[in-house]
Amino acid sequence: MVAVLTERLTKVYNNNTAAVDNISFSVEDGEIFGFLGPNGAGKSTTIMILTTLLKPTSGKAFVSGYDVDKQPSKVRANIGYVSQDIAIDEYLTGKENLILQGKLNHIPKNLLNHNIEEALQLVELKERANDIVGTYSGGMRKRLDIASGLINKPKVLFLDEPTLGLDIHTRHRIWDYINKINNEYGMTIFLTTHYMEEADKLCNRIGIIDHGKIKVLGNTSELKQKVGSGVIILKLMHYYEKENFDKFIVKIKDLHDVDDVRHTDMYLIVSTKEGRTLIPRIFDLSDTYNITISSISLKEPSLDDVFLAYTGKGLRDETGTAWTGMQTVERFRRARA
Amino acid sequence: MIIQISDIYWVFWRELKRYSRSRIGLVVRIVQPAAWLILIGSTFAGTQSLLTTTGYPGSYIEYITPGIIMLTSIFSSIFGGATTLWDRRFGYMNKLLTTPVSRISIAIGKMFGISIISAIQASMIIVIALLMGVRLGNPIGLLPAMLVIIAFSMGLAGVSLIAAVLAKSQESFWATMNFLGMPLFMLSSALFPLELMPSWLSIVVKLNPLTYTIELVRTLIIGNSIPNIHLFIDISVLASFVITMILVAAYMFKREVSKAF
Repeated sequence: MVAVLTERLTKVYNNNTAAVDNISFSVEDGEIFGFLGPNGAGKSTTIMILTTLLKPTSGKAFVSGYDVDKQPSKVRANIGYVSQDIAIDEYLTGKENLILQGKLNHIPKNLLNHNIEEALQLVELKERANDIVGTYSGGMRKRLDIASGLINKPKVLFLDEPTLGLDIHTRHRIWDYINKINNEYGMTIFLTTHYMEEADKLCNRIGIIDHGKIKVLGNTSELKQKVGSGVIILKLMHYYEKENFDKFIVKIKDLHDVDDVRHTDMYLIVSTKEGRTLIPRIFDLSDTYNITISSISLKEPSLDDVFLAYTGKGLRDETGTAWTGMQTVERFRRARA
Repeated sequence: MIIQISDIYWVFWRELKRYSRSRIGLVVRIVQPAAWLILIGSTFAGTQSLLTTTGYPGSYIEYITPGIIMLTSIFSSIFGGATTLWDRRFGYMNKLLTTPVSRISIAIGKMFGISIISAIQASMIIVIALLMGVRLGNPIGLLPAMLVIIAFSMGLAGVSLIAAVLAKSQESFWATMNFLGMPLFMLSSALFPLELMPSWLSIVVKLNPLTYTIELVRTLIIGNSIPNIHLFIDISVLASFVITMILVAAYMFKREVSKAF
């Protein structure tokens, strides 16, 4: 079964800009699908059309088999929506928020208590359930917000930037919850994010959207393999024999999986997608040719590269490892020239 | 669009929970009408002889009590749309809109919540009036009077809801409602009977649905009314005001929430 399907979906706002421009994609049942893009790319607009909050200008969209434009109430009965904003009532207690959400979703009485307990358990808020939400921290509010999206055990759960503005600890917790929801309930999850790491950790498949258009769709690991540009950067001690060094370079170039080697007297950059298995082999060669390596760093192919390749620009990723790696290489290139 | 009573109830339930947990709001909304009752009631007590010439048998403070009760309802309900504006601002509205609850049910639940809160506030001012020595000529009339207050507040809640869904900012909403509230009150028979007004003013006052509402409440609880406005007209004007506002508000709510905020 297809959980989400769009056909040439387009949304044009009053100022004549197409926030979503002719996009077609599908999400299979049970998937965690990530919609990636910079701020203002059209992620939220897409999610708002899929959750019946906005009407599409043209094109079609189906959620759980129902047309979002023609059968909105059927769609609403089958979805959970956790928006970017922390949409819970801070005058109510945690539990009251969930009761309200359950009642508005027409959950039968005998199921409601069970669902509430389960959701509270999942987001680890049982002890604070009877406190007014006004006393909760930001992270707790977001967790309660996610719990309230689960109350009706939806077929498809929409999470719009679920960890926006949260600290790293809370973010990891929320990733755990999302994985659990997907594994234990078999719920399809459609999430948007502009954090590469988040998409990398959670999603089976991703779609990259920029300026309202889908740039690429595909399996996360396949996409990384396809465009990934892993590099190994080696810093060498300078007291080697020139002759040995030249042989060393030639031998590395001959190694399997090596795409390219560039070097100066002290640095060596090896382009590869198989960095992990290549490093020991490079060490072996350095032994043979009596070359001492003083430091080594590895950058594996990441979603940043995928993103860069398809949109022509980087995303500001908070963790920044991959990006700084790239920048190091760039600086190095300039230094060499 | 199916309107379900239980949906309306749960939207209403939330409004009342929020109200009961906001003690400051509760006090703030009662202070102003109480001040009006005390200050205006004593300041203009000297106009008693004028009032008597119109055939009104009671005291001035008794005369203005129904007006002040309605002032309480105005203060409470005209700003009641603010919760809708906040809900949209903080994304709560989107959460409501993605549940199977119909948009109309949300609008009605909101309006009903506002009107019941107004009625609770109004009953507090009735207690204050009684403590100040106002005599109710017809205590049994309190019950139907409460219904009148609830109905009028519901109409005004509709006005507030319309302003809230059309407003793009809190500032424009509050400015609009402030602009509406005072004239609505001043251009009615709350403080002075029609007979004492210049004829141009009494024409304006006769166009104000609040005038008829106040006359109804006055007839019901004080037991004295200006005889030339009939009960039947009062009820018809009130009913048409309320029904029109509810319908327009429900329609506007449904139309506006389907646009991006």
